[in-house]
Amino acid sequence: MAGVITVAVVDDDRMLLDGMRSWLGSVPELRLVATAGTVGELLAVPAGPAGTPPDVVLLDLVLRDASAPADNIRRLRAAGSRVLMISTVPDRTRIIEALRAGADGYLTKDNDLPTLVAAVKDVVAGHGAHSPELAFACAHDDSPSRPKLSPRERQVLLDYASGLTLKSTARRAGITVHTAKDYLDRVKAKYQQAGRPAYTKIDLARRVREDSLDAG
Amino acid sequence: MGSALPRARSFMILTTLLYRASHLTVGVVAVAQRGGRPVPYLGIAAALGLSVLVYGTALRRGWFDVRHVAADVLVTGCLLPFAVYAWGGLRETPAIGWAMLLGGSSSATAAIALRRPHALAAVAVLVATHLVGYELVGASPAVLGGHLNSLLSSAVMAWVMWWYLRRQGRLLDEANARALAAEAQKARYAERLDHHRALHDTVLATLTTLAAGGVDANAPEVRERCAREAAYLRRLIQQTAEEVHHPEMGAALEEAVSSVECLRLRVTAQYHGLPEVPPAVAAAFADAAREALNNVRRHAGTGHAYLTATGDAGGAGAVVTVVDRGPGFDPDRHVPGFGLRGSVHARMAEVGGRAVVDTAPGEGVRVELRWPA
Repeated sequence: MAGVITVAVVDDDRMLLDGMRSWLGSVPELRLVATAGTVGELLAVPAGPAGTPPDVVLLDLVLRDASAPADNIRRLRAAGSRVLMISTVPDRTRIIEALRAGADGYLTKDNDLPTLVAAVKDVVAGHGAHSPELAFACAHDDSPSRPKLSPRERQVLLDYASGLTLKSTARRAGITVHTAKDYLDRVKAKYQQAGRPAYTKIDLARRVREDSLDAG
Repeated sequence: MGSALPRARSFMILTTLLYRASHLTVGVVAVAQRGGRPVPYLGIAAALGLSVLVYGTALRRGWFDVRHVAADVLVTGCLLPFAVYAWGGLRETPAIGWAMLLGGSSSATAAIALRRPHALAAVAVLVATHLVGYELVGASPAVLGGHLNSLLSSAVMAWVMWWYLRRQGRLLDEANARALAAEAQKARYAERLDHHRALHDTVLATLTTLAAGGVDANAPEVRERCAREAAYLRRLIQQTAEEVHHPEMGAALEEAVSSVECLRLRVTAQYHGLPEVPPAVAAAFADAAREALNNVRRHAGTGHAYLTATGDAGGAGAVVTVVDRGPGFDPDRHVPGFGLRGSVHARMAEVGGRAVVDTAPGEGVRVELRWPA
């Protein structure tokens, strides 16, 4: 079944799971293969055909089992899925944590179906699933461990965070939509890189070099 | 009544007082040099006493007492020369000169303090008695002519000065009154503009939306908003024009947001690191944001607005953006309505901030509010 993206949803809200099932049922390119209340529940059951993990897991940011979002994301990533975070309220600290832990995108639950489908496709294509909320969280991240952003990246991030479409953001920056998206992806990648543990001195040295290159 | 008349009066009191003082000085010196009989001393003492009464009272009360002035004309101006002539033994022209001189300041004061017929009568009496007086001592026609000239010109000059000052004062008062009225008018106009702007952003927007029929008027949020705006109108009518400003910028913006949310505009609002700003600035941000949001609701057609409010990188300032993903417009051809130009720009400029509208066809509208500009 080439071209069909397998999706799983982890959320402790049954109504949302039901809604998601009927929503995604109407989209031919996506197939909902599993729903679960917790990450453990999802991983316990072999999901796809021949036990292959779903391409994308839509993961609720805050689950009732009090699990840490970062742990959930790492477990799902380790199992071979990409992770798109969904939540009711944008909690910026948790969004940043999720990004560092390897999530590929973040959406609030009030987005419409086309936006959700587009985000899933972006994630599968190796891009980030960008949203103004995610961009806002990154643009105004003032934690000491935040990655360094170039002025251009920051400008694109800020404009996208203000709610502009990618097209308008690109126009304001005088770049193509493709380049604008590339900037946002680079920001996401920086967070994911900064989030991964630096085990060796060689790793550390490389990250210092990256940082100084970014700064310059 | 304006402030020019009291000033003209005190100036005239001072002028005639100085005129009288110069005459008294001449009298005191003349009497002291001559010595002799007590009547001249009594005469100059009487003149001094009356002068103190006339000018002291005038200085104290702000203007002359006509009875004092009449007494001064009769005693100092008319009787004194005859008294010093009859009982003081002053029988030659130079000796009686100081007593005659006092008539000049009497005539000047009478000309300004008495009503016109009385003033004319006083001057006539002075002229008549002084004619008789100088006739008695056998003064030369030259002395007589000079003295009569001095009596009359004192009266005329004092009166002209007084007339001129009053006239200028009246003109000045009228000009001041006009300026004050213009000022008040301007203030009222500014206040009315404020109210109009507020009405445009709130009551008018609500009524327009309700009239269009897209909104359920019975929805609790709409009713709540109507109640809020009715309260605003009541305050307006009661002229308790004290604006309710919100101390916190975030709270003020949030209220603006919730007011448009009531009208079914979905707002994605995000705040970060808002600084403490003066209440007037927070209110301006909220008003401008409310208008920008109302604009999204009216023109974007998406039912969705994005609002971000953040502290400026500098520290004390703040930036608010209101963005939609609607059709936008061509900024070169579109003439923005009262909403964006009048309300948003003027409201921010009022507190030293600014608003920038960025849009292009098909690309939504981005309104950036910034303070300080």
